[in-house]
Amino acid sequence: MGVLYCLMSLGVNFIYGIMKVINWAIGEFFMIGAYVQYLLIVIFLGVRYWYVGVFIVAFCTFFLGAFVQKILIKPMFVGMVEEKTEYATIVTIAMAILFRNLAIFIGGPYIYTPPDYAPPTRIGPLPLSGNNFIAFIGTIAILALFFYFLKRTWIGKAFQAVSQNRAGVLTAGIDVLKFDMIAFGIGTALAGAGGALLAPVLLVYPLCGVIPTVRGFEIIVIGGLGSIPGVFVAGLSIGIVESLGAAFINPSFVDIYGFGLLMFILLIKPYGLFGKPERSV
Amino acid sequence: MPRLRLNYSGPLLFLLIAILLPLFLTDYWIYALTITFYYVIMAITWNLLGGYTGQFSLSHHTFAVIGSYTSALLIAKAGLPLWMGMASSWIFNAFISVLLGILCLRMRGIYLALTTWAFAEIVKTYIRMDFEFTGGDRGLKTPLFFKTMNPLPYYYLFLAFAVLTIIVIAIIMRSRIGYYLRTIRNDEVAAQAMGVNTVRWKVFAFMVASVFASIAGTLYGHFIGLISPVSGEFYEMSLIIIFVVIGGMRSQAGPVVGAISVRFLAEVLKKWPEIRMVILASVVILIMRFFNGGVMECLRQGYQRIRQRKGRNPVSGFQKLEPTQRHRGNNE
Amino acid sequence: MNSQSHPLLDIKNLVKDFGGLRAVNNVSLNIKKGEIRGLIGPNGSGKTTMINLITGMYKIDNGAIYFSGDRIDGLQPYVIAGKGMMRTFQISRVFKDMTVLENMLVPALTQDQSMVEAKGLAEVLLEFALLTRLKDEPAKNLSGGQNMLLQIVRGFMNKNLRLYLLDEPFAGVHQVIKGVILRTIKKMNEEKGITFIVVSHELTTIQYLCHQISVLHRGEIISQGTMEEVANDPLVIDAYLGG
Repeated sequence: MGVLYCLMSLGVNFIYGIMKVINWAIGEFFMIGAYVQYLLIVIFLGVRYWYVGVFIVAFCTFFLGAFVQKILIKPMFVGMVEEKTEYATIVTIAMAILFRNLAIFIGGPYIYTPPDYAPPTRIGPLPLSGNNFIAFIGTIAILALFFYFLKRTWIGKAFQAVSQNRAGVLTAGIDVLKFDMIAFGIGTALAGAGGALLAPVLLVYPLCGVIPTVRGFEIIVIGGLGSIPGVFVAGLSIGIVESLGAAFINPSFVDIYGFGLLMFILLIKPYGLFGKPERSV
Repeated sequence: MPRLRLNYSGPLLFLLIAILLPLFLTDYWIYALTITFYYVIMAITWNLLGGYTGQFSLSHHTFAVIGSYTSALLIAKAGLPLWMGMASSWIFNAFISVLLGILCLRMRGIYLALTTWAFAEIVKTYIRMDFEFTGGDRGLKTPLFFKTMNPLPYYYLFLAFAVLTIIVIAIIMRSRIGYYLRTIRNDEVAAQAMGVNTVRWKVFAFMVASVFASIAGTLYGHFIGLISPVSGEFYEMSLIIIFVVIGGMRSQAGPVVGAISVRFLAEVLKKWPEIRMVILASVVILIMRFFNGGVMECLRQGYQRIRQRKGRNPVSGFQKLEPTQRHRGNNE
Repeated sequence: MNSQSHPLLDIKNLVKDFGGLRAVNNVSLNIKKGEIRGLIGPNGSGKTTMINLITGMYKIDNGAIYFSGDRIDGLQPYVIAGKGMMRTFQISRVFKDMTVLENMLVPALTQDQSMVEAKGLAEVLLEFALLTRLKDEPAKNLSGGQNMLLQIVRGFMNKNLRLYLLDEPFAGVHQVIKGVILRTIKKMNEEKGITFIVVSHELTTIQYLCHQISVLHRGEIISQGTMEEVANDPLVIDAYLGG
């Protein structure tokens, strides 16, 4: 299960790597993705084409994210705002609240259940929910796509460059601000796609973005802010720790084990496993 | 720091109004105002940490929760009398906040926010999980401070503590400690170079803010009579941030004004809870984008413009002064 | 006590590595009380790194630094400031949301001066630096040159000040303000005996101001002496031209 939340963490870390900004509203993009997917399936496409839905959702959230970035976040970098991290944190938190309540207002506080993407199957002797399976495979597929994009394509490499040295890439002729916008869009698209994939698993309701946000940030704190490999190591570790804890100590404390790991890691490595402190002088 | 030059008559007038107000209000409104005072305390103390010292903590509400639970549990399980339960809880909180403060010392903005966020989630999750001990989601009954359900004595209790908090924070900010804290927010490296012991003062700010939050939390717990992990939800923290941002993050009156006016607005819009939050969140975003200082900053700018028009303030605060202008200056 | 025998600042075999790069390579240097020492060198030679090491911002990897006989390497920057060493930054670091006057007060307050005393001293210094008119302005409204000037006079608020390290105080600064800075340095040096280390690229200014000059290149001191001696040193010429 940890793998699924990796999409969220990836989204946040990617955005952070490029813009040094944490998007606290990422869960809300997940939620929007879930809602849109639900609408698409129920009204337009029908369940058979759920994967088309996921693509459309990714597109839509991409543009929504880019739009948000343009109005709200970009001014940070164009010199109009002084206290940058504070601004970004407050604005993204406010956005999260805005979206959540907007969702309740528009769609009502109900839980929508999208139809199953795939019937329950069996793998060996274990019964497996079709939806979980699809979500898992889908996530892996998206992750693979993302990695291909990052490592192989020219644009992907450009993104890597931006995350390493913002000023330097300017001299290489890259329009950093535009990249910022695209990066933000990609980050939110990842979350939206996650929402679409997980819609039948987590169900669709206004606060469905909350748990993924919490898990996603848990992964980020452990793996290290801005680190993409960290997301995987952390996601896996949390998964392992939770299973072990539930098996050996006490299943009802399941949520805590992940956090316990988090505190432990923070004590020895305050920036997470792969995180990098900022240079001050 | 440019701030509205209220001489003491303004606040004293408000105090007087606050003292007399219950005579004209229904129990419901007295109750609502009491809760508002709680938020005033939370807003002001968070502002000390976040607005002035620049330590953007996302676990302020958590200290209130730890306060109320520690006190309630000590009383319920260890049989301590009310006063001792409360006082022990405050000491415990001081200790924890120092630990957290030290953990967060090396962290700037974003990491600090993440770490405090994680701390908040851990505490909340623990309270929910360990329901045998803490009552979990069902909540925990707490003994009442005054053995009555009448909100009136609580109103004055909270008012008194709110006033005390405002005074203490004001004293701190006007003292040299206030200077140190502000330098930490502005430029920690430069502050160190100027001789400021940033370590000591960051932890100090953390401790003061958190202890006051825990006191507010214990009072709250022994007022409502029932505490639950819901108070530890991120929503509570975002409320505090909303109050402070709308009121004005770097003024002393800002959080007070913010808490009171927003709470009032929230009460008025009670029938539409979601729209209420949508409006508030939008206001916050607008303020951050355009009026960075919140309501108090708007007032201050307006005040300055009025003074300018009357010719008393020839140098506006907002023009860049170039070297050439210095020769035309009137003080040389 | 003969000030010749006890250098105010004594640096022995200082080494600093950044990952694989050796930024400071076995530097030894001493500064006598009352000197104005110039520290020059091509870009990237390690001048700012030296200042950061001396003032405690960076940890040293090897060697020792003595200030007035006390060992200071490994101490926190604010402790070193308390001992009487102040520095300015290449890019002005003033407290932007505080007024000019409030900026001035900070170094005095940290040295346990009363508010009243501190305000008095601040006003005198601001007067001398021709900044009085701006004293209630938020520092963010100042021009670049004014910022540098503020940074510099702010350091003099430290009542224990004995050694002042200025990192590129003249860079991009208006002529008039530069004049004020030079005046201030000379006055403080002559009247109060404050020792200075000035890092700069402006060789004519350094020649005018400094008694002795040390030349840094690739993390090593390659020459030291008066401007004439140093300017004619083939090693120095090579460093500047060869790069």
